Amino acid sequence: MSISLAGLGWITPLGAGLDDVWARLMRGDVAEAKPLTNPETGRVHQYAPIPPKLVEHLGRQPRLRRASPIAYYSVAAGLAALQHAGFTMTPEIAARTAVLFAVSSGSVLYTRKFFEGVVKSGAQSASPMLFPETVYNAPASHLAAQLGIDGYSYTLVGDNSVGLGALKLGEQLLRAGEVDYCLVVGAEEIDWVLCEGYRDWRFGALLAEGAGAVLLTRGPGLVEVAQIHDGVSFASRAEAVRATARVWQDLQAGGASDCVIGSANRSWTDRVEAAALRPPGNANLPIGEDATRCNRGADAHPGRLANQEIGVPRIGVPPIYQPKLALGEALGASALWQVVVAALALQKNELPARGALALQTACVLSAGVNQQASGLVLRAPLQKAP
Amino acid sequence: MSSTFPAPRRRVAVTAIGVVSPLGLGLTETLESLRTGRDGVTPVTRFDVSRNRAKTAGQIHSMWQERHPLHPASLMLSAAVREAAAGDPGFQPESMVIGTTSGGMSLGEAFYRCQIAQTRPRDRARWLANYLPQKPVLDAQTAGGFSVPVQIIANACASGSNAIGHAWTLISTGQKARVLCGGYDAIAEMVFAGFDSLQASTPEKIRPFDKDRTGLVLGEGAGVLSLEEWDAARRRGAPIVAELTGYGISTDNFHLTQPNPSGIGPRQAMERALDSARRRPEDVSYINAHGTATPFNDATEGAAIHQLFGERTPVSSTKSMMGHALGAAGAIEAVFSVLALQHQFLPPNINLTQVDPAWRLDIVANEAREADVRCIVSNSFGFGGTNASIVLERAES
Repeated sequence: MSISLAGLGWITPLGAGLDDVWARLMRGDVAEAKPLTNPETGRVHQYAPIPPKLVEHLGRQPRLRRASPIAYYSVAAGLAALQHAGFTMTPEIAARTAVLFAVSSGSVLYTRKFFEGVVKSGAQSASPMLFPETVYNAPASHLAAQLGIDGYSYTLVGDNSVGLGALKLGEQLLRAGEVDYCLVVGAEEIDWVLCEGYRDWRFGALLAEGAGAVLLTRGPGLVEVAQIHDGVSFASRAEAVRATARVWQDLQAGGASDCVIGSANRSWTDRVEAAALRPPGNANLPIGEDATRCNRGADAHPGRLANQEIGVPRIGVPPIYQPKLALGEALGASALWQVVVAALALQKNELPARGALALQTACVLSAGVNQQASGLVLRAPLQKAP
Repeated sequence: MSSTFPAPRRRVAVTAIGVVSPLGLGLTETLESLRTGRDGVTPVTRFDVSRNRAKTAGQIHSMWQERHPLHPASLMLSAAVREAAAGDPGFQPESMVIGTTSGGMSLGEAFYRCQIAQTRPRDRARWLANYLPQKPVLDAQTAGGFSVPVQIIANACASGSNAIGHAWTLISTGQKARVLCGGYDAIAEMVFAGFDSLQASTPEKIRPFDKDRTGLVLGEGAGVLSLEEWDAARRRGAPIVAELTGYGISTDNFHLTQPNPSGIGPRQAMERALDSARRRPEDVSYINAHGTATPFNDATEGAAIHQLFGERTPVSSTKSMMGHALGAAGAIEAVFSVLALQHQFLPPNINLTQVDPAWRLDIVANEAREADVRCIVSNSFGFGGTNASIVLERAES
């Protein structure tokens, strides 16, 4: 049974339209970093927010009136993917559709605000309006309600590879014959408390907000899903290299991919990805650039370096593009962004920073920040023009 | 909910179970508590509840060790995994599907308090890694001596049943041969305050299905089930303790926190579970209800049970004994259901004074009952309108 992507959608710091954002990526644009201040300490962080005008229209929907921004991003990306697929959600189709939502931190904004109320004013003063929106599955619930889906709705939690896990879940439900369509959405919102946490972790990436979405279905579509890896868990950074390398080698066993959409984000995971991509048998091949040194350079000249791959060997590895260097690290959303980039690259036969390329297959690879590595391979439809 | 390509189904065996809850550390103590109707709810000692309405919870005090490097959620899930591994040493999982709602939430709370106090404890960076929900699962894998792909489902209070249900889907459709599944959650101050703010929790005893019920009490714990394709389990001589025969899921779009009063959400989940198990309502010996004791939940679930099963099928909510363990609840209650099948009794619904006359249900009131237990439906419902039901049956070849 073949499985394919029938529709794509995203909302990113660079915009929301598929072609608009793609054009900006091809131009080498990078997300603008904005300040986010911790009011408790005065420390200023940088993050890549979603322009409010992109989701303003959703505020008129009663179900979303009190929702956290992550719910807005999820609904915006999910509806965009359906629209891209030319999909009209009837009750009959809704009965055969699952909503699968991927998230890492979830509604941190409302969670922090609610707990702030508990700590500063006492439990009895904490807002009952905020608490329900703090549950991980609140965005999926809003999206399911929007679409009238009364069956499968799963929220999957993990690190920044979780979006690939949600696609795997979708593949499993399709193969099980439980549903005919899976709307897979990954989303994240950013709050200063999250920035503090990742700063303590010496993370280094520019955290970003947004959502990515794909409509997964059986049979032909825009792009065929050739393989989705089950994922590999790891418990240390050394194991992370082995886990990511295993994912990469497993995915290449069925044939070499024409390009890689990597997950480098200017954190320690860059070195993991770079080491994992070393060709088998060339374990001592020097990595093209030391990721740490490259990070310093990228911090100094983010625009200039955004479209240069980080720490990847030049020999034996297909062309690589790492979209998080331009869009930021959006945790639960970012693997879906990678998938959308891979699908667009196959459709358009081009890669940012590389220009025109003949692409039949694209590998998405994600080395998560917290113990999970995964990947998938997309294949262009057979009738695609050369 | 349907597909144009339904897959053929294989039988799914439960070859081992493990549990940690306020009713016991392990199966032996848990069985004794269920048989005697022990009340595992105690005053909250973990954090200050002086400014909360509710003051009690079902807690596992021994799992909260001040200087232990692992979060209590990791300790709970690890203990349950170890017990299941001991029950079937030959079981080698291919993957794990685990439900949770909160992960290591108490570490997030501590992190936030540090921000306010502007202090920087040395191990603060470690908190983030342990706060995320996958960490207790990976710790449990280390405890169990294996490393396999993980799926963590966070569907609010239905998470545990969803995890078991998805594992059943994987095995019954031939996509996996062996899956370790279940759920975990450790009590957190934020979640405690959250249910308090909604006035969903009670300062009194938790009384599911009682006319005078006033709300839920929170609990904590972990439960796991080793699931395997039936024939493969038989071939290797595995100890089959029950059969998982069905799973139903529904999403109630009525409201983020309130179920549709008609009971359609729970009814659809139970109907779908029975359909997949190829069972009729009259085949069911006992219903382990979600039964949180909130006015809304019990009214809806009671109505749905009455509509589907009438008044002849015995019902109880084991949350009356240990509180509501959120993402762990469905998994812990699945373990309780397996014990009921193995030992042929119905766990009681304690603290009951008078059944709500809104529906006529056979509640297993206050004392366990000996019974011929062949088929059990276990319900879990959650915020976001997620509803899940599973069907467990006595192991018969």
